[in-house]
Amino acid sequence: MTDLTSLTLLEQRDGLKNKKFSSEELTSEYLKRIDKKNKDINCFISIDDSAIEKAKKCDEKISNNSGSVLEGIPIAHKDIFCIKDQRTTCGSKMLDKFISPYSSTVYEKLSNAGVITLGKTNMDEFAMGSSNETSFYGSVKNPIDLERVPGGSSGGSAAAVSANLCSFSTGTDTGGSIRQPAAFCGVTGIKPTYGRVSRWGMIAFASSLDQGGVFAKTALDASLALENISGFDPKDSTSINKKVPSLLSEASSNDMDHIVGIPKSIINNIKDVKVKNNFEESIKILKKLGIKTKEIELPNLEYALPVYYVIAPAECSANLSRYDGVRFGYRCEEPKNLDDLYSRSRAEGFGDEVKKRILIGTFCLSAGYYDAYYIKAQKIRNLIKESFLNAFKEVSSIAMPTCANVSFKLNSIQSPVEMYEQDIYTIPANLAGLPAMSVPSGKINNLPLGIQFIGNYLKEGVILNLANKFQEQTDFHKQV
Amino acid sequence: MSEVDNSGWESVIGLEIHVQLATESKIFSNAPTAFGRPQNTQASLVDIGLPGVLPVLNKKTIEMAIKFGCAIDADISSRAIFARKNYFYPDLPKGYQISQLDDPIVGSGKIEIEINDQKKLIGITRAHLEEDAGKSLHDKYDNFSAIDLNRAGTPLLEIVSEPDLRSAKESVAYLKKVHSLITFLEISDGDMSQGSMRCDANVSIRKFGESKYGNRTEIKNINSFKFVEKAINHEIQRQIDVVEDGGRIEQETRLYNSSKNETRPMRSKEHANDYRYFPEPDLIPLNISKEQILEIRNNLPELPEEKKLRFVNEYKISEYESKNLNSSKELSIFFENIAKEVSYPKNAAKWVLGDLTAMLNRYNTEIKNSKISYRDMINLLNKIDDESLSGPGAKKVIELLWESDKSVDEIIISEGLDQVQDEGDIEKLIDTIIEENPKQYEQFNNGKDKLFGFFVGQVMKASKGSANPKKVNEVLKKKLSQ
Amino acid sequence: MKISEETLNNISTLSKIKIDDDMKPKLIEDLEEILSMVHKMNKIDTDKIAPMSHPIDDAQNLREDISDKTIDRDAFQKYAPKTDNGFYLTPKVIEQND
Repeated sequence: MTDLTSLTLLEQRDGLKNKKFSSEELTSEYLKRIDKKNKDINCFISIDDSAIEKAKKCDEKISNNSGSVLEGIPIAHKDIFCIKDQRTTCGSKMLDKFISPYSSTVYEKLSNAGVITLGKTNMDEFAMGSSNETSFYGSVKNPIDLERVPGGSSGGSAAAVSANLCSFSTGTDTGGSIRQPAAFCGVTGIKPTYGRVSRWGMIAFASSLDQGGVFAKTALDASLALENISGFDPKDSTSINKKVPSLLSEASSNDMDHIVGIPKSIINNIKDVKVKNNFEESIKILKKLGIKTKEIELPNLEYALPVYYVIAPAECSANLSRYDGVRFGYRCEEPKNLDDLYSRSRAEGFGDEVKKRILIGTFCLSAGYYDAYYIKAQKIRNLIKESFLNAFKEVSSIAMPTCANVSFKLNSIQSPVEMYEQDIYTIPANLAGLPAMSVPSGKINNLPLGIQFIGNYLKEGVILNLANKFQEQTDFHKQV
Repeated sequence: MSEVDNSGWESVIGLEIHVQLATESKIFSNAPTAFGRPQNTQASLVDIGLPGVLPVLNKKTIEMAIKFGCAIDADISSRAIFARKNYFYPDLPKGYQISQLDDPIVGSGKIEIEINDQKKLIGITRAHLEEDAGKSLHDKYDNFSAIDLNRAGTPLLEIVSEPDLRSAKESVAYLKKVHSLITFLEISDGDMSQGSMRCDANVSIRKFGESKYGNRTEIKNINSFKFVEKAINHEIQRQIDVVEDGGRIEQETRLYNSSKNETRPMRSKEHANDYRYFPEPDLIPLNISKEQILEIRNNLPELPEEKKLRFVNEYKISEYESKNLNSSKELSIFFENIAKEVSYPKNAAKWVLGDLTAMLNRYNTEIKNSKISYRDMINLLNKIDDESLSGPGAKKVIELLWESDKSVDEIIISEGLDQVQDEGDIEKLIDTIIEENPKQYEQFNNGKDKLFGFFVGQVMKASKGSANPKKVNEVLKKKLSQ
Repeated sequence: MKISEETLNNISTLSKIKIDDDMKPKLIEDLEEILSMVHKMNKIDTDKIAPMSHPIDDAQNLREDISDKTIDRDAFQKYAPKTDNGFYLTPKVIEQND
């Protein structure tokens, strides 16, 4: 019998529909595998005990042909998405015992589409990190090499797909938190246009940058998963009120023409020659497919990292003020007075990286520094968006590496800035709010690399189509 | 209350007025805004600030803010931006208040006040939308403060004046003007006792003729018209005392304590806080179109100034009466309901502002809670008009209408207030009185004219006040001269 | 960019995060490293550029003024650190005014 857990989402969907196997079988295969693998990988924080029961109900619906589009598909949610009556930790001691009284829109949409939640995946605390080492629940290990990091912050969700513990999973991406771990774990990951996926119930890190998305084995799987979490939500006033096209049909279309922009100076400045070679090989593959490329300039992207490390901490410094030990979450023992309650609950409940970012953000917003830091960063953010808008006058998407390196060893990066530099290629798309994805593009020393495609606003279908064409020609995505 | 003896000092005052907008739901959540419900039963996920929740702006609050802006002839921003004001307090669930800093929805405008028959324009710096905080109750428990978040997220319009006010009296006049505007616009019930309208005052002093401002203090927690005047007067005097003693005014926030009539500096470091305002990233800038503003402007209800003039012209009442009748929208409507139905609207004004207002004051309430309806007043005024009810009788009816559940007619009957109109009845009464007082009758006939009053009094007494005094006079004159 | 201990104490007070003394040197070092990276922003002239707080700002979605009266206080307070009789409780705040 085939290993059900190694099938793609589309294969599983068809298999269930054609009754080649049941959701109960598929779910129990996954649970068995999680039981075996999670000890080493540590990618799940919690497992949903009711998964099998729900699978049986899905099977009933499938048997009388009343199943929804993703009926009976077991998946994993990043533990940043609130699920009613379930623990939602955000990887933090602060929320270790937090049981959410409501559900996120992403969870609701997928539930309505018929999926089964296997569990919630590990992540960097409050999505702040690029290695998954900041989680209160311990580091996630890269399934490809257990001594290495899976990337972050959605490392648990990337590792789960990579290790065949689910066929797709949800994630969030504020500065690369889907794309970088996708690259490190050899899977496909997409963050859509800012506002495509509702942020309701998705615990905030930096509101103007956060965007939900998915991990999957292929671009086609990712497109099916993404179209099922996208769409206007009246509960999120930044949500885009536009119809979501069928991303699966756009991704698999043969009629789409591409002009892929290659940002010359960025590529020329890639430090690691192997990463540069890999990128150039990937472009050759595109060219072989008859896809047009065009060299472009993307000025000012070198400022994306400093801009991000003002804006994201500034927003997070306010977003995380609600964790004060009063209405939910961690409260310190025997507070002497109100100030003690606040300052100790927060000092004890947050980990070091989170505290560091709150402090940086507080500093950048404080009297006397606001203009020099926050306003300055917002101005450059405008310039970066402008750069992209100019580029998209000439090209339909932009390609660059996802990351400057492959996965690194656990605890090997100590300098904060060195860690932050993990995201130099991914942050610009967040600052501009553009859709972007990472697709496996080969390996260096047996460790996967990703190529990143950035699309114009609301053009998820274009980059998914490009990624699918790339995957039709390559088998990097099958090498995990 | 007397004005502070300035002795060469000029006071400079600006007010920040917080007005709770009369919406059904909160500004950023769909929780109800009802007042006086059990603790934390009107606080939704959003109001509690749970992880992952998001604000969505209530359309109605924008319309209300624009209405106010149009009424004070202010600039309305085409692009309004919300900002986070960061500070920690238990009744501020998110650790920041969503407010506005740059690009408030309402820009500069002006409001005219009248003080000692002089008109004066007060500049409005801005008016912006923000959310209210919850309430902290410190007396419920011995060792804890109790937090009720029902009020958290209630929409507020904060109206900031220029430092154009020069006395406590002007400040009160301005506050009353704002109160009448917001009630006429129906954007707030303006009820200060329930906190629907709250006021902070920025107060400083300087020598007359000085053009620079002195250091100012912000007086918080002023919650009635009466206290505004008291608190400001007290603070002006305190500042004069400090400076005249060679001291210096600290720029600080002070709390007014109404029971002690004093202000004291806030011990909390709140005034020294650095609020770290920045644009609210959960709400993108709000675009307001010229069309929307125009539509609201064209549909503004009649404003107090217009209504005041109309009442003077239409009902022939004095400007003073009209101003008082237009101090609130409800009172103006109450009056007009009566004025339209009676022969002498001037009388309606007199009775509404006189005896009815006296009852409202006696029971410390407002016209919306009046136990006397405008229909009662029409009935009453018509009876005065056709002389079937005397002035003193009407006063009695008003009192009993308030204190009993009886109708106007029931009270007149049970109290025997119906004036005796029939000449025959009055003649009979007079005959009895003459019979009972032969001595006085004789003296009168011998030229002691003063005794006429004695007979009127006796007749009225015998009729228990129900005889029409005019008729009594007429008949008595006839009888006595026989 | 140098961060003084005073600055660190100030932002610690503002953000209500207690910082133990023995953690301060390392924290200052990290914050200084991050801020010097951030200072690369100063290489670019932005005098004539407008600040942008949001990548997409076409139109803000608004809600109608309709209220939902089904608020389940008990569910919201079930996991709260300390409540009584529907109130959230905090250490007593002493206010001079009341």
